[in-house]
Amino acid sequence: MPAAPSPSPSSPVEALDQSLSPECRVPGSKLYTLARLKAVKAALKEKRPIHVLSIGSSSAGLGASASYPVKLENALEQALPDVQVEVEARSLPGEVASGAGERLRSMVAEVEPDLVVWQVGTNDALARVDIEAFGEALDDSVQWVKSHGIDIVLIDPVFTQSLADDAYYTQMVRTVQDVARREAVPLVHRYAAMRFLSTQRTTEAHMLGRHFRLNDLGLRCMAEHATRAITLSLLQPEAGRETGKADAVKTDLSAPAKGPSEGASTADRK
Amino acid sequence: MREPNAIDFWRGFALVTIFINHIPGNLFERYTFSQYGISDAAELFVFLAGWSIGLATRGRDGTPEPRLTTVLRLLSRTIEVYRAQITIMALALAMIAGCALYLDNPLILEWHNAGGFFADPIQTMVGVVLLTHQLGFFNILPLYVVLIAIAPAVVLIGRVSRTLLLALSLALYGASLVFEWNFPSWPGEGDWFFDPLCWQLLLVLGFLANEASRESERLRRLWRRLMPLGVVIVIVGVVLAVLEWRPDPMLAPEPRLVFTFDKTYLSPARLIHFCGMVLAFQGVYALIAPHVGRLARFLSGLGRNSLAVFSMGSLLSLAGQFVRFQTGGGIFVDISVVGSGLIALGFTAWFVEWRSRRPRPTRKAPDAAAPADTPSSSRSA
Repeated sequence: MPAAPSPSPSSPVEALDQSLSPECRVPGSKLYTLARLKAVKAALKEKRPIHVLSIGSSSAGLGASASYPVKLENALEQALPDVQVEVEARSLPGEVASGAGERLRSMVAEVEPDLVVWQVGTNDALARVDIEAFGEALDDSVQWVKSHGIDIVLIDPVFTQSLADDAYYTQMVRTVQDVARREAVPLVHRYAAMRFLSTQRTTEAHMLGRHFRLNDLGLRCMAEHATRAITLSLLQPEAGRETGKADAVKTDLSAPAKGPSEGASTADRK
Repeated sequence: MREPNAIDFWRGFALVTIFINHIPGNLFERYTFSQYGISDAAELFVFLAGWSIGLATRGRDGTPEPRLTTVLRLLSRTIEVYRAQITIMALALAMIAGCALYLDNPLILEWHNAGGFFADPIQTMVGVVLLTHQLGFFNILPLYVVLIAIAPAVVLIGRVSRTLLLALSLALYGASLVFEWNFPSWPGEGDWFFDPLCWQLLLVLGFLANEASRESERLRRLWRRLMPLGVVIVIVGVVLAVLEWRPDPMLAPEPRLVFTFDKTYLSPARLIHFCGMVLAFQGVYALIAPHVGRLARFLSGLGRNSLAVFSMGSLLSLAGQFVRFQTGGGIFVDISVVGSGLIALGFTAWFVEWRSRRPRPTRKAPDAAAPADTPSSSRSA
């Protein structure tokens, strides 16, 4: 877990990302790793609706008005004014390490999105699959999505106190990060964000500790966090600028330094 | 109680395979045949269901039973399967919730599509009852409910004309492949994991295979002669599976489901592979049964009681997943989980048969004490 000290010289403690709603506020470095999103940018340029395929276990669909995909769609439309965003949600049963990647390919072929937002790792962690096999299969799938000119954002698994010391689980989270870094795709640090939030005293409890429930708040924050990572990634320098080679892979260390400040102004314009 | 036979044997075999495959990551998974071909145990299960419908709707002497009896029999079976699905869904959700509470671990709530239920219980409860909300690994029985519900039409049309039945079934299958027709999920977006509009073809093929082979010695001989073709298909399947070679769905020409290896829509490659498996292994039971009497009795016992065994298997594999998760897996855990699961499946089969053949105590006269409360009044399912 890269617990990066804030690179910002102005404040010793990194400021919370003020663009998020108060109960979801997390410092940028705990929240995302950025990378370029070419396909979404192209769609924006052509002024056409952005098709998003949201995949993961919380992806109950639009029949449920309060569900995560709806929240994601709302958050994205808020962050990208004048842009129409269409989120299609699918659950992906099975493990990435054994066959779920195949199913993902069918879904992508069916929906043909501009962007895939993939909450990944939960099922594999629950099955305690071999981590190396998981990493390879995930890398394959991400590469495949990219090879078809589709953008992809990964969301790593949920944080829970009961697994805070589980070496296998943290290794799993790290593997998702490694793949995101290797493939230069944006990553939402759901694990780190929730771990951070768990230390904050908020009135509403996140889905942590005893008597938790998979509540609105946790999913709303995840939608906000994903949106934040996407909008900031859209502000990444153009691919054409060869000098910005180092920008191609944003690590946790470099991203938040420039991310929140410039991103907030654009994203909050509403 | 039927003697061990090929159909029950293979059904039991499919049930064991499904049980093991539903504990992902376990050591034995890689030794199941599903890893070495394009199709898997789900195809076998549905095909044999079709075959059994043919057997069940005829008398001992082979004469078809009255139409109304067939309709009522299959209706009653549909209700049984539906009841089983609702029961195991309720138990599975409770197991997931209970396990999450007990281990104080909300991660478990996101287990294969269960998150929807816990995040949106109002809509999802309706979806559970309508079979449009399915958990991962709990998606075969919804298919089975639909297939048994349409089975009266299959049987009755089949009695009029087998060619007509096959033509109708193929037409529906083809159209569903081309136009991507499927039953919708709700409240989650997307479609059913097993598309009944496509998978009905396997049920019909199973039914027709039984009907046709019963009467035609020539057909049976033809199938035996085609065995080498089946072996070739199986070998091709092994090679493709081991090399992990399959078409890229984004590159497949339209209609793309015709060319990909898609499980949901039972794409033609899976169907052909399955037919190859049937041809290749048609004689195997007769060959091995005399030497593996015990195994044949065990698997046939499971196959005879497939609904109960499948239901218990689903719940046991879920429990097995939790055990593996909490203990971290490993060879010892896997052997214990799978071993005790198989014993429990065997017990389930034995217990169901014990309940149904247990002699009922003779009823006392109505004036005897509380006759309605005696345990014997509970019918066997």
